[in-house]
Order: sequence, then structure tokens, then C-alpha cells
Amino acid sequence: MTVEVAVTVNGQLRSAGVDARRTLADFLRHDLGLTGTHLGCEHGVCGSCTVLVDGASARSCLMLAVQAAGTEITTIEGLAVDGELNHLQQAMGDGHGFQCGFCTPGFMMTATELLRENPRPSEAQVREAISGNVCRCTGYESIVDGILRAAELIDE
Amino acid sequence: MSSVGAARFVGQSVARIEDARILTGRGRYMDDIVLPGMLEGAFVRSDLGHARIASIDATRARSMPGVLAVITATELEGAVSPLRVEAEIPNYLRPVFHALADGKVRYVGDPVAFVVAESRYLAEDARDAVEVDYEPLDAVITMDQAADPDLPALFDDVGSNVFYTEAMNFGEPDGAFAAADRVVSAMIDSARVTHVPMEGRGGVADYRPGTDELTYHAASQAPHSARQALAALLKHPADRLRVVIPDIGGAFGQKAGLSREDLVVCAAAKMLGRPVKWVEDRIENLAAAGHAREETIEISAAVNDDGTILALDVKMRLNQGAYPMLGTPTPLFGWIVRTMIGNAYRINHMRWSLDVYASNKASYSAYRGPWAAETLAREILIDRIAYELGLDPVDVRRRNLLTLEEQPCKMMSGPTIEAVAAIDTLERAVELVDYDGFREDQRRAREQGRLLGVGFSTYIEPAPGPPDFFAAIGFTIGGERAVARLEPDGHLTVITTQAPHGQSHETTLAQIAATEFGVPMAHVRVLYGDTNTAPYSSMGTGGSRAATMASGAALHATRAVKQKALAYAGDMLEISPEDLEIADARIRVKGDPASGLALGELAAAVYASPPEGEESDLRSVALFNQPSGGGYSGGTHVCFVEIDAETGIVRIPRYEVVEDCGSLINPAIVDGQVRGGVAQGIGIALYEHARYNEEGMFVSSTFLDYLVPTAMEIPNIGVTHFESPPTDEVNYRGVGEGGTIAAPAAVLNAVSDALGGTRVEQLPLTPDRVLALIDMADERT
Amino acid sequence: MKPPLFDYRCPSSLDEALALRSEYAYDSVVLAGGQSLMPMLNLRLARPEVLIDLGRVAELAEITELDGGVSLGAMARQRSAERSDLIRERAPLVQQALGHVGHPAIRNRGTVGGSVAHSDPAAELPAVCVALDAELVARGVAGERTIAAEDFAVGFMTTALAPDELLVEVRIPAAATAFRTAFIEIARRHGDFALVGVAAAIALDRDGLINDARLVFTGVGLMPVRAREAEASLLGTSGDAAALATAAGLVTGELQPRTDAHASGDYRRRVAGVLTRRALVEAMA
Repeated sequence: MTVEVAVTVNGQLRSAGVDARRTLADFLRHDLGLTGTHLGCEHGVCGSCTVLVDGASARSCLMLAVQAAGTEITTIEGLAVDGELNHLQQAMGDGHGFQCGFCTPGFMMTATELLRENPRPSEAQVREAISGNVCRCTGYESIVDGILRAAELIDE
Repeated sequence: MSSVGAARFVGQSVARIEDARILTGRGRYMDDIVLPGMLEGAFVRSDLGHARIASIDATRARSMPGVLAVITATELEGAVSPLRVEAEIPNYLRPVFHALADGKVRYVGDPVAFVVAESRYLAEDARDAVEVDYEPLDAVITMDQAADPDLPALFDDVGSNVFYTEAMNFGEPDGAFAAADRVVSAMIDSARVTHVPMEGRGGVADYRPGTDELTYHAASQAPHSARQALAALLKHPADRLRVVIPDIGGAFGQKAGLSREDLVVCAAAKMLGRPVKWVEDRIENLAAAGHAREETIEISAAVNDDGTILALDVKMRLNQGAYPMLGTPTPLFGWIVRTMIGNAYRINHMRWSLDVYASNKASYSAYRGPWAAETLAREILIDRIAYELGLDPVDVRRRNLLTLEEQPCKMMSGPTIEAVAAIDTLERAVELVDYDGFREDQRRAREQGRLLGVGFSTYIEPAPGPPDFFAAIGFTIGGERAVARLEPDGHLTVITTQAPHGQSHETTLAQIAATEFGVPMAHVRVLYGDTNTAPYSSMGTGGSRAATMASGAALHATRAVKQKALAYAGDMLEISPEDLEIADARIRVKGDPASGLALGELAAAVYASPPEGEESDLRSVALFNQPSGGGYSGGTHVCFVEIDAETGIVRIPRYEVVEDCGSLINPAIVDGQVRGGVAQGIGIALYEHARYNEEGMFVSSTFLDYLVPTAMEIPNIGVTHFESPPTDEVNYRGVGEGGTIAAPAAVLNAVSDALGGTRVEQLPLTPDRVLALIDMADERT
Repeated sequence: MKPPLFDYRCPSSLDEALALRSEYAYDSVVLAGGQSLMPMLNLRLARPEVLIDLGRVAELAEITELDGGVSLGAMARQRSAERSDLIRERAPLVQQALGHVGHPAIRNRGTVGGSVAHSDPAAELPAVCVALDAELVARGVAGERTIAAEDFAVGFMTTALAPDELLVEVRIPAAATAFRTAFIEIARRHGDFALVGVAAAIALDRDGLINDARLVFTGVGLMPVRAREAEASLLGTSGDAAALATAAGLVTGELQPRTDAHASGDYRRRVAGVLTRRALVEAMA
């Protein structure tokens, strides 16, 4: 059964007709061509597919596209402002936050939510906040440092 | 070396070139590839460990909406050759098997059929409608079961599940054991684990019927060897077969070799005349993509009372699972263990035996430091020696590690040891962590009932190893190629054989080339991963080769182009090339920054009208061979643990690594490799287990059951760099594998130390097991 | 790993939802926050004919004051409960437990009612409901009834809800505000389902003696498990070390957890005793 789903993604109104069973992740990736969001487990554990739905982090593999109808969604493609890397991207680049890049979208969106809710998190708070995201390459320290550095940049 | 006045990017933590796309969501991974008319596939996989296939009924599946084909072993006949490990090895059983299960399934996840449909959703619908009728057989799970001739053989054509045995001596172990004051023994049962790249395997096969061209977008660490294998097994002309890699979301060895699934995807595209995509999902990845580390080692040392190790006795057993990896004879992993177990220690005699078993499990495959069992076994043995002789574990290492003064020398297994400063990394580590201070803290904590422990692990690894290392393991890779080419605009293109998937080679090789050539980083572009353009390599990314071999090749290819450029410029400017230099992308007279011409002007002039009698372009291919000295990375890891005595939960408050990988190309990248490697080693020690139950069911099939550590489990990891004396101009060595090699022993030794020297023999150290160990420790005291 | 085909229904009112539930009953599944159902769909462990999405039923999302206690609409997001001042004041155990539920992104979507109705024996909220004597409000087309939290789970992931009923509300009574509480669990990794966990709630009389105690465990049975002997042993004591040790010992004696891939039954039993002591210390503090 096909349903028409319209969402605002990274500030743009987008819509497509999709199967009701289509996940939000597949809708973003394959119907809207926003492949920056990655699928790492499709059962809600790895966090790679995390996007912001009305500002709140959500696993896009654990939502149907139709559930997101009418919401505002932010994906990793929406982080840079006018082609300029935002503070979080800048900090992650400076500090070599990531390696293979597959988990990256999930960490970036999770960190975006964290920094908005808690602009000066402690290291422990950062670790807790990203504990639902799995990275296999880095051992996490560079990601934690990147988020802490981003908080400083935002402050400056 | 680099020109005077040129910017030196090597040694700096310059920002990663890869991040421009990765941080903005513009990477292109396998599932991001979309081709016109592309179909998607899903595998029907066995849900039994061991069974005969009585029948496969795909009638209903084939009639479902959007379904193009259901391919079974029958349909593949003729399209894909039967498979067999190529290398003939005495005593090694080499069964014939097929890309899709033919007549029998041999592990949970064994591919039985491939459904191709207009979308993955539809393919999965039809996958569920394929009816396979199985006649279950007794599953062979443990190595003891594999050794039992009463249980069914996995492969009828070889008739046994004992796939390989060897036994040999190095030096004169019998004499050493007879002469020793005593014998100290240890045992380690290392749990089967899996690599868990965040992106699973996959491929997109693009076949054009008109021209017979097959392009395979492969998640491959080694595109050229994938191409060779595809050409041979699909009987497809190699000149019409191109392998190209997209961004790859991690591999850690799991994507080193061509898989059975790769063959099926390519065959499907050829049969259907349309592009076919397969993206492995997590359930498939955990069950079927390859496992590692299921080994036991019984190890004994002949020692004197002062802690001097005279000889080893090592019995290794390895459970390879059902199917051997294509191209990799499983005994090879044991041979590297055999070669490396003496390591940086003064050990000259060994009795050795190796048994390799087949069982109803996923294939054993190379995983980050595939020979790590040697470090795990040896390093826990050293702590046993210390404990049983009443010595300090650091002192036992000190007493037995080779000093620089004794080098060059040979390991008992053959490879030359030169410029190995493992003992110095140990001393640096001891200093760094205030070892004596910790022992005091530990004593005080124990009085309050708190269990603190410290564990050391000292090792070297071939990264890439000296030439005689490869002779010792009986496996040669050879030199490494790179192409450098000055483009008409004066920018430099470097093409590497590496197939990076997180290692940041686009950045490190650009650092090497830009420094050598005297141009800004932005003027260097590193290309890779396309067999149409990349120079040949049988290896690609693996074996910790890149830092030395790819860097050396890039350096020499760049240098050759530079010499050409200087020669042309000398002609144009009528000045001796020796008096010219390149800096800031200009060729200029030494000492006169305003002179000369831009590289772009030179290149444009050469391409427009090549000078007569000269080579007509600005391109060079270099073949870089292993430097004869050195070749090892290594170091010392120190892990601190605190164990909750009531729950068995192990926490790691501090972890320090003193790493020696020679000169650093990019310190931030090195640190990232070390930390990531340690995190995986901690996973192996404490969390991860790819587990099968007694019936052969795979019970770690989701991320709820296969536990990859998160930011809450992995501590900050201190990394201190130590540079042993250089033996070659190219003094960069691999650093990707060491963390995973050394960490499990450091963690395990720390847990044992916290429990007063209790034997720790089985991984992973679940809270349950730790609590049992605490009980044992309590009973002894 | 893609969901199977199903008919999708998205009622905009509770009445509409109940009518659909009544019509399709066992052939339907209810999508609340989806954090448990969606993995099951992706894994194709659930293959419903009809999926009823409660996401647009606005009336179920409220968290409100109720007779001195709290009412949580079944569709209230866990994250809302975690941040609610009312819950912090009246039922802090809910927030103590929610900190252990998955991760922020899971709690952003996950609902209170979804977790309770899913009735996973390792889940935190069902144990909290039992500890706080919550009343669970079930509604069907025929009307409404309340089910005591303790009677809600009737087997492994099976509840007292009829197939045509929906869990619409979780009511935490005013009496629960008297509890001092703590929630502790042991998991292999942070955020995982616990190997064993405990919701502890105690009430003290004027003399500082315990006059009510709840010890409800996760991960040790087919449903949340109360350690009644241990609870009883605490009554009339001041919660001193000896009383805590007695309670912990009774817990270890009376629970009979099973063995699975992550931990043995013995481990769970033993650690349940440890957690009992730790949770009571925390609750008393």
C-alpha cells in the first residue's frame, strides 16, 4: 500500500510516494537521495542511522517513513551552513574524529542534539550521550574529544 | 630527501583529506551506488548448522512481484567454477565446495540461494518464500568433536574434520627442557569473535551484455586479487573485468579475500544482463561474513629460577569453521603464530604443534593481527612465570627481551631481528605509569577489599616485516607499486595499490608526496581502488604494509617524477638540474626564490611539445621492495583494571601504550589506529563472543547478543611514541594491527593480577566468569 | 532486513484506534514508539496483517497530575517522562529507571505504554510499575478497566490485555509518593538489557522504621519478579546493615533466574542479592 509522505528535510519540503512499510532510513536514502544517513544494523543498536526528527534524535531504521510525515528532519547533509562546516564538523576534522566514516552520521546527529541541550557537557556526559552509537574504528576518544572541542568552539 | 625550503607535511597531524566528504555526508558507500536498471538481491541462508538439502522449491518465490530470478547451485553450474583452496600443502585437506550450498549446508548462514528482485524489500519477500527441505545431521561444533571420527565429516570428498596437523622443533628444545630448573605452563582458550565493520560486505555487479564488460563495485581490501579470482572463477576475460571500490565502512581483514557471495552477485548480473546489488545486512554479517580467533594454545616454558626462559613447548589448535577462505589456506595463520611467538624475546628452542579443524561454523578469516594468539599466549605465560617463581612480571620481561646491542640476530623461526627496541618501550612504560607507586596503591586498596590490577604486554609485529619473515611463513607478497604523474596543471597524481577503508591513505600518501615534491597538500591527489588505473598488487590493504610499502612506493615514484621535472626545467632554463629545486609548487634556482617557473607552466609545456629524444610525459611507476633491516612495529601496553568483587564487572580506569612504529607520517592518524586497535582488543578480552550452541545454532546473531564495546566501556588510551633507530630512509611502519594484538594479553594479565595471580584461561571475561575466578582466588587464600 | 508487507492504519482518535483493534485483534500489532516493534518487523519476527500506528492519537500523550499521584498516557514518550517535573517530584523511581533504558535516541521515540505493554522481563518500566503499585488502564470498545501492575504480566511477554484492548494509561497512586526509591542494574554494556536489575522502594514510619518495601527484579524470570520474603524481612527494621544483609540473603534464596548466553542463573541470583543491598542503601540515603 502506497502512501504519500511529505517531510521537511534540512529545511526543504520533500515528498515521495512510498510503501507504508518503507523505513524512514530507506526513504531518506533511496527516495530522497540523501545517502549520508547510513544503515549499520537495522535493529536499533548501532546508531549509524540517527537523524533528528523535530529536533530529537531518532533511529531512522526504527521509524517508518509514514510516521515522519509532517515533521522536520535534519540529516548530516544539513549540518554545514552555506557550504561552511559547522563547529562540530570543524572540530571533528581538526581532531581526526573518525576513520572509515560509516558511523559518522549517527555520531554527528547525536552530538548535535547533545550540544543543543547541554552546551558544555563534561566528558562523562559526552560518553553517556554517545553510548548508543557504535564505532569500530576509533576507540571513541577522538569522537569524545571532538564533541568537547566543538562545545568550546560554539562558546567562542 | 625533501628539498630545502619545501614545506614538510610528513610528521604533522594534518587534517584528513577524506573528511571533506565524510563529515558532510557525501561519502559513497556500497548501498549508495545506484545504476540504471539495477536489481537487488537477498540470500537464502541456512538456518541449520549441518544438514543435507533434500530439495529446494522456489516456484512460489519466482512468481512473486518484482522477482527476476532465484538462483541456486543448479543455476550456477557452469557460471561459477567449483571452489578449492589453490595452494597445495602437504597434510592439508582441500575440499571442493561451491559458491552456493550444493547438496549440503555446513553452518548457520551458509548461502543456499540468491533471490534477485526489483528492490531489496521484494527480494526479501521472495527469500522468505523459498522452501528448503533439510535433513539434519549431527553438528560438529567444538574442536574435540571435529577430532571425533564418529561424527559426520563436513565434506564427503575429504572424509575427515581434522584438516591439518604439523609438529616440529626449533633449536633443541628437549635439551633445554631437561636442563631447566622448572617448567611453567599456561593455557588460553580464545573465543571466536568477528570483525564487525560498521558497513557489512556487499557488491554491485554491472554487466554489459553487448561488450561483455563486467565492472564489479566491490567492498574489497584487494581489488586486483579480487579481479584475478573473479576472472578465473567466472571464466571471464580479465581485460573485460574491472574491480572498483567505493568508500568502505571498515573491514579489519573481513574484506581481504573474494567471498562466495561476490561470485554469486557477479554471476547473477551476467545471467540477467542487468546490474545487481547485494548489501549484506547485520544479521548476515555477524553469522556469515567470517569469524576469527577461535584458537587454544597450551604453552609451557622451560625456565631457570631467575626467570630466564630457555625454551617453549606450544600446542596450538585452531577451529577454521566450515569453508576455508578462498585464497587463504588456514594453516597460514598458525604458521605466522609459529614464526612470531618467540618475538622480541631471547628464546631459541621450541617444540611446536598445530592442528586445524573444520566445524559447522562460519569461516575463520584474517582479523586485525591474525596471529595475535602468539602474543596472548606468550604474554600470559610470562606473567605465570613471574607468579610461580615469585618474580615481578616486568623483571621477567626485562630478563628475556633482546637488547639493541644483541641485534641484528635471528628469531629461532628464521626472521632477522634488527633495530627492535621492545625492551626500551617496556622501560618507558614502567616509568610512565609509576609502577612502584601503583603496587603501593594496589596493596592499600586490597586492604579495603578493592581489587586493582595491572597487566603488561610487550610485543613486536611484522609491519610489514623483513624479507626473511615471508620466507619463514612460506608466503610471499613482494614489492609494492605506485604511480606518480604530474598533470598538465602542475598538480601531482599519485596512484596507490592500497584500498583504504579508514586508514586515511589519501592523506598520508599525499603528505609523503607533497613533502617530497615541494608542493602544497592541495596539489596532490591520491587515487586508488580501480583496477583500470591502480598498479597491480596481490595484497592491497592488509598485513600492515601501507606505512612502509605504499609510502616507499609513493616516495620513489614522486622522486622519479621530480627528477624528470627538474631535468626538463634544466633544459628549458638552460641550467643544470642540480642547481634547481622545487618549493611552493615552483621550480626555481636554489637560493633565488623569485626565479624559475611554476610547475604548471613546465607541465603544460612538456605535454604540449615534448622535448625531442626525451620521455614524452611526466609519469613514473616505482616498485618498492622491503628494506632489509627492521620491518617491525611493537611496543608495550599497560592495562589497569578495577574489578567489582561482588559483580565481576571489570572496569579499565587507565590504559597506556608505548608504541614504536618508527617515524610518524601523521601522529593523529597513528594515534587513531592504536586506540582503535586497543578498543577491539578490549572487546576480545571482555565482551565479544560469536557463540554457537550445542546444536550448532548461531546465538550471537544480533547486536543485542554480539557485544561491541561503546564509549562507556572503552577508556581514554594514552599513546606515547618511541622511535627505534632507523634502518632505512623509509622509516614508517605499520600500526593498524598492534593494538588488537597486544591488548587482550594486557587486559587478561591485569585481571589475573587483580586476583592475586589466579589463572585466567578463557575469553571473554564475562562478569559471570570473573565472579567464578574471584571465588577461585578466595578459595586459594 | 526490511519489514514485511502489512496494511497500515493510522487512527487519529482513541475511539478509532479501539475500533481497529477490535476489528483486527490478533491479526494486528500496535505501533507505539516502535523501539521494540520495529526491530521485530525488520527481522521479520513480527508479520502482522495490519499495523495500527497510535502516533496520531494525541490524547494518549499526556503526563498529568492525578489525585496526588501521576497519570502517564500510554503514548507519553519516555524522554518526556524523564524530563517531567511532576514525575521527578512524585515518582522519581520512573526517572531513576529511565536512565537505564536504551539511549537518548531510543527514549526520544520509546513510549511509556509501549514498554509496559511489550512486557519484556528484562525491561525497566514494568518492574517500576509493580514497585509503585501502578494501575494500568486498559480500554476496549466495550469500555475501560484497570489492572494492577502486579497482575499485568501473565507469562513471558504476555499480558492480561485482551486482544481487542489497548493499554491507554499508567496511573501511579498518591501512596507511591511516600516511597524512597532506587533503581540499579548490571548490564554487560551501558544501555543494554540488564543481566539483572532491581527497583527498590521503601517507606518509613515516623520512627524511621520501614513500614513498606518493594524489591522488584528484572532479568530473573518470565516477568518482573517481587522478592516477597526479602521485602517482609525489612518491615519494622531501620534498614541497618544487618537488615540489608538479611534481605539480600533472602533475595539470593528466593529468586530462580535462568541461564542464558549472557549470564548463568547462579550469577543472576547472586548479583540480585548484591544489588538488593546497594539499592536499599541508595534508597535510604
